[in-house]
Order: sequence, then structure tokens, then C-alpha cells
Amino acid sequence: MKRFFNILLFEYALSSLKRRGGKNIFIFFIFFLLIFLLSSIFFIANSIKYELRHTLKSLPDITLQKLQAGREQNIDISRVDKIATIEGVSEVTPRVWGYYYFKNAGANFSIVGVDRFTPSYKKSIQKVVDKFDSTIFDKNDTMVVGAGVKKILEKNYYSKYFNFIKPNGDFKRVYIAGTFKGTTALESNDIILLSAQNVREIFGLSEDKATDITLRVPNPKEIPTVAKKLIEMFPDCRAITKSDLKISYENIIDYKSGIFLAIFIIALFTFFIIIYDKASGLSSDEKREIGIQKAVGWKISDILLQKGYEAFIISFVSFFSAITFAIFYVYFLDAPMLKSIFTGYSILKPPFKLPFVLDFQTIVLIFFATVPLYLAATIIPSWFAATLEADEVIR
Amino acid sequence: MSNNLRYFVLFLSFVTIFFIGESMALSFRAKSYEAKNLVVRLTTLPDLTLSTEAKYIRHRSLSDIGSVFSEDPEGISYFATTFVYAPSNVLNIIPNKIIKAK
Repeated sequence: MKRFFNILLFEYALSSLKRRGGKNIFIFFIFFLLIFLLSSIFFIANSIKYELRHTLKSLPDITLQKLQAGREQNIDISRVDKIATIEGVSEVTPRVWGYYYFKNAGANFSIVGVDRFTPSYKKSIQKVVDKFDSTIFDKNDTMVVGAGVKKILEKNYYSKYFNFIKPNGDFKRVYIAGTFKGTTALESNDIILLSAQNVREIFGLSEDKATDITLRVPNPKEIPTVAKKLIEMFPDCRAITKSDLKISYENIIDYKSGIFLAIFIIALFTFFIIIYDKASGLSSDEKREIGIQKAVGWKISDILLQKGYEAFIISFVSFFSAITFAIFYVYFLDAPMLKSIFTGYSILKPPFKLPFVLDFQTIVLIFFATVPLYLAATIIPSWFAATLEADEVIR
Repeated sequence: MSNNLRYFVLFLSFVTIFFIGESMALSFRAKSYEAKNLVVRLTTLPDLTLSTEAKYIRHRSLSDIGSVFSEDPEGISYFATTFVYAPSNVLNIIPNKIIKAK
């Protein structure tokens, strides 16, 4: 232990760093900024992935959609009975949903129809809805809206009800029965939940059609087989499994962070140039210092240890403070500016907190990509200088 | 102990305390996914409501699976949602000529 940590040498390293204060502060700052940006991007990407992964398990296992001429078409409800005969399928639901463009605000609402408000639905709705009035819910024309929808409607003076415009131009008045809880904004911000019957009326959808069909398959190993059977049964359909969705999400988030990292390469190169500058040789001042140290009796190992301490202090302290600050920036300040890279622009943007996930794998990766590199770039040239004769170095 | 060492230890302990403090505060943050999962179960829409400007936005299944560059809400480079900034709010749907005529 004593061989590796010498307090006097450590103190000497600190004062040596202080002597070349300007240069070292600059390196510290660059190092800090680099690791801070890199880790912030990884933290945001990880948090969004975490959020998606956690809600993904509640989705139906397979979604069946009808395609015609490369576009999605409404599917016949009669297919539900046929699908129910496939072994391993526990639940088949025809879905009625779509988008409603609200011209005044320029926003798209996602309208989802549920089959009348059955008791089981009511129970789950009660858990996720604020200001819930169960008596108003028994009436036919009621809806539950997301927080973002509610805000936009109120801005346009629709505080109690909303007039949907049907395909034939008539109005359909629907009363607001409740608002989804703020904590679920990331999932429910643009949602309007109505009874399926109302959705059909608003979209002009006939009773024998549905937007698509969802299936639940309790045994995950059977999902690919069921999907294959579905496509064989209905060649004009496509079956989207939950794992397909998961893969596509990960692609998108990786793509987003990838684009940023591609731009970030420039910054990374700046860092490498600094390291190259350091590694390509010590300044004459530093060489002379090493020569004098040798002349007064320092061993090579002492010189290397002192240089190692210097590099370690700069790289480790900047790494540690950058990670600490990145956590503060991402999870407490909600990553202003950088979050926009992932979220983009939208009129109905939900306010949300990123879930906290400390991914040690990423932190270790960043650590090994930067700190040892800097250590090596400091120690190797010092070693070259330290192995030379003292008079040769001083000269 | 020299002054340099004292300042160094002070700085490092400040950063450490800050790190431990924020990690603890964050781990105490409620991590309940029950309500979120219920909403997803009710609506069966998988996407987060981050970008809601295109028809295929709330369900990835309406764009190509796994494709990033074609009709993908968060990936495409020609759609408004890809950009970090919003379009100008002074842009008006009423053509310039009509405004000027008033």
C-alpha cells in the first residue's frame, strides 16, 4: 500500500499541478465537459428506454392489422371469432381508435374507444383518473381526457364538454367526465377515452368494422407461432408482436443518441488532440523538472508515481464531478436543451420527469474510455524522460 | 497536511456528499408504474406522447417496424417533429395577401 500511496509525493503532485494551474484547469474543464455531455446523453437515453420497457409489458401481445395497397385499412369484426379458435389465445379484442385533428389548436388527439364502460374498465379508470365523477360516467356521452387535451380544450373555452365534428359535418357533444392523473402524462397526455360506440360515430365507422384486432397470448413462447398462424389465416394482414415494438423503440432511441454521438465525435477529437499533444512529448520545462528530480536523487518509480498522481487527480476528479453534475442536470433540472434532442417538437408536449436509473455499465464504459487513456498519455512520456540520464535531460 | 491537500480533500468530499445526497434523493423518488401500466392497458397504445403531430405517431405499428428512416415519427429528417424547435408562431394560415388587404 505504502509503495503505491505516498502522501508526500501526493502533496508534491498537488503543488506541481498548482504551479501549472492555467493549463491544468483547462484540461480539467475539457475533460469535465466531455464526460458530462457523454454521460448526460446516455442517462437520458437510458431513462426513456426504461420508461418504455416498463409500460411495454401491459400491451397486447399481438396486434393484427389489415393492409391494402400498402396502407392500413379497417378490419372486419367477423375475423375475431375465427381468431378465437386459435389455441393459446386467451383474449381477442377488436380495437376502435384513431386521431382527431383539432384545428383551432393544430393538435392531434388520440381517440381510443373502449367497449362501454364495463365494471372492470370502470375500476381501472377510477385508479388513473382525477376528478372522477362516477354518476356522470353512466351517461352515454362522456369521455376521459389526458392532461394535455384538457389544457388545450380549456384554452378554447371547452371546459365541460367538447363538440366533435362528425364526417358529415354534424356536431357530437361529449362531456368531460375526468382527467388522467398527471403522473401518467407521458402515456396519456393526448388521449381521449370514449365508449367505442361514440368513437364509431365520430369517425363514421360502421358496426362491422374495427381499426385493428389485439390478442393476448399468455405463454410468451407461443407468440411467434400464433403470429404465423394469423398470417396464414389472413394473408392480407400483418401481425405485430410486442418484441417487434420493443426492437423498433430501441432502434429509435439508439438512433437519436447515435446522431448526437456522431456530432459529438468532434469534441472527442479535440480531447484526443489534447492527449496527443501531451503524449507526443513533455515540454522542456517538465523535462528539466524531471532531470532535476533525478539529479537530487529521485528514483524513476518516484517520478512515475508523482506523474501518475497528477494525471489521476485531474482525470478522476473531473470524471467524478462530471458524473455527479450530469445526474443533477438530467434528473433534477430535467436536462434542459439535451432532452429536446430526444423528444423533438410537439404542440401537445407532456411535462415529465425522467425516471432515475443509474446505469453502472455506462459509467464504467465512459470511465475506461477516458481516464486510463489520459493516465497513459501522461505516464508514458514521463517514463521516456525519466529513463534518460539526468544531465542529458537538463541540457 | 499542506493547504493544497486540505483544499483537495475538501473539494472531493464536497463532490462525494453531493453525489451521495442526490443519489439518495432520487432513489426515494416514487417509482410506481402501476398507474402508467393501467393507462397503457386501457388505451393499448404503446408510444409515449412525446411527438403527437403525425397520423402514425401513437402506434409504431403504423410506420414500418424497425425502420428508422422511412415513415418513422421520431426518426425522419423531413418532418417537423424531428426538429428540436417549434415552427414560428407568427406563421399564419391566412395568406399574406388577405392580411394585407385588410
